[in-house]
Amino acid sequence: MELNHLVLQASRARLFKELKEVQREKVADPDIQLSCDDNNIFKWTALIKGPSETPFEGGVFQLAFAIPEQYPLQPPQVRFLTKIFHPNVHFKTGEICLDILKNAWSPAWTLQSVCRAIIALMAHPEPDSPLNCDSGNLLRSGDVRGYQSMARMYTRLAAMPKKG
Amino acid sequence: MQNHEADGELDSLTKSLPNPDFDDWAKFPDEDDDDIMHLNSSLHAEVEAEADQSHKVPFEPLSSLATEYQSGSTILLEKIKVLSQQYVAIRRTRGDGNCFYRSFMFSYLEHILESQDQAEVDRIKANVEQCRKTLQSLGYAEFTFEDFFALFLEQLETVLQGNETSMSHDELLSRSRDQSISDYGEFVTSGEIRKRSEFFEPFVLGLTNGTVEQFCKSSVEPMGEESDHVHITALSDALGVPIRVVYLDRSSCDSGGVSVNHHDFVPVGGDNPNASGSSETVRPFITLLYRPGHYDILYPM
Repeated sequence: MELNHLVLQASRARLFKELKEVQREKVADPDIQLSCDDNNIFKWTALIKGPSETPFEGGVFQLAFAIPEQYPLQPPQVRFLTKIFHPNVHFKTGEICLDILKNAWSPAWTLQSVCRAIIALMAHPEPDSPLNCDSGNLLRSGDVRGYQSMARMYTRLAAMPKKG
Repeated sequence: MQNHEADGELDSLTKSLPNPDFDDWAKFPDEDDDDIMHLNSSLHAEVEAEADQSHKVPFEPLSSLATEYQSGSTILLEKIKVLSQQYVAIRRTRGDGNCFYRSFMFSYLEHILESQDQAEVDRIKANVEQCRKTLQSLGYAEFTFEDFFALFLEQLETVLQGNETSMSHDELLSRSRDQSISDYGEFVTSGEIRKRSEFFEPFVLGLTNGTVEQFCKSSVEPMGEESDHVHITALSDALGVPIRVVYLDRSSCDSGGVSVNHHDFVPVGGDNPNASGSSETVRPFITLLYRPGHYDILYPM
C-alpha cells in the first residue's frame, strides 16, 4: 500500500513538472498546445496542428491523454478525439498504434514529446501495422492518391473550421 | 490549471471547430474491431494480474537449479555441478526483461548493505553525478530522469547503517519490487552508450541496422528490452562497478571436460579503484548467472 502511495506521489510530482515545462515552452512549439484538466492532473488534452505537406495540413486535431498512476513507468493512454483517417489510428475509437505508447515506452518521453511523435506519425504512416485497415490497404496497394483524398476529406470535415 | 494566457492561432481555431457529428464515434460504425479490442483488454488484465504477484527475489540453494534440469541436458547438469563447487546460492529475479538491471541493482545494494563500504558509496556517488551531467549534455530534460537518480541515491543512503532511515535486508527485498530502480539503470546505460557512441557504434551495428541513438531509443531505454554485452559494458563503465557474468548454456568444449564460461566486465577509466590495469586482480562483487534470455544473481562460496 505504501508503495502505491509513493508511486502516485511520484507520478503527480512528475506531471506538475511537465505542466510547468509546457507553460514555459509554449512559445517554442507552436504546433502543440497541451493543457491539463483544471481538477485532475491525470487528464490532459492537446491540440496539434496537422503537419504541412500532408493531407492533415490546415487541420487541428484534439488528443485526449489518460495518465496511469504508474506514470512515467507506464505510458500515457492517448487517443484522437478528432476524427482522422490514418492507417495507425482506429477510426472508431481514435486509439493510436505507436510503439512508444506500448512496448517502446520509456520515462525519457514526455507528454510534449509524445505529441511530437504523433505529429511525426501523421506525416509518416506505417501501413504495415494498420488499426484502420481501409486506410492501410489504400497505401499498401500503392493508391497514395486515394489515401490522400480520403484523409483530406476527413480533415476538412472534422478538423477544420467551417467556412461561412 | 489551464493556461489562460492569450495564445493566438490554435485557440481561435478551436473555437470555430465543428463539433456535433464527429464527437460521436458511434456514427462511424466499424463493427469488426470490437472483439479484438475486448480480447486485448482481457489480455492486459491477465498480464497485470501476473505482474501484481510481483518482482519477488527468492533466495535458493544452487541445488534447486539442478532440480530444474533433472530430466534435461546432461551438459547443463554437468555444468551445474561445476558451478556448485564455486557458488552456494542463486537468487531468482523475475523474467520480465528488466532482470539484468534488477539483478544488478539489487546485488549492488545488497553488497553495500553487507559491506557497509562508505568509500565505495562515495565513489559511486561521484559516478552518479557524472551520469547526470552526461544526460543533461545529451539534451535529456532533467525532470525525466531526476526522480530515478534521487531514488537510487536515497536507497544507497538507506542501506548504510547508522542513518535514521536505515534499511533491513527484508526491506531491501520488498523495495526491489520497485520498477523505478531498473529504470535508473536504463537511463545510465543509455547515457553512457550515447556519450561514447564512437566506441559503441561497432557493437551496436552488430545488433541492429540503426544508429547508436536509435538503438538507445529502441533497445536500451524501453523497459523489458533484453540486455546484451553492450548494455552490461556501458552500465559497468558508467558506474565503475565490475560485473561477472557466468554463462550457463549447452555449449561444450571439444576436449571433453566440462567448464563453465564467465566473463568479467571491468570498468575502464583511470582513477577508478575498482579498475586496476589487469583484470585478474579484480574479483567483481556482483556475479550474475546468464541463461539465454535471463539473468539471476549468484552467490559465491
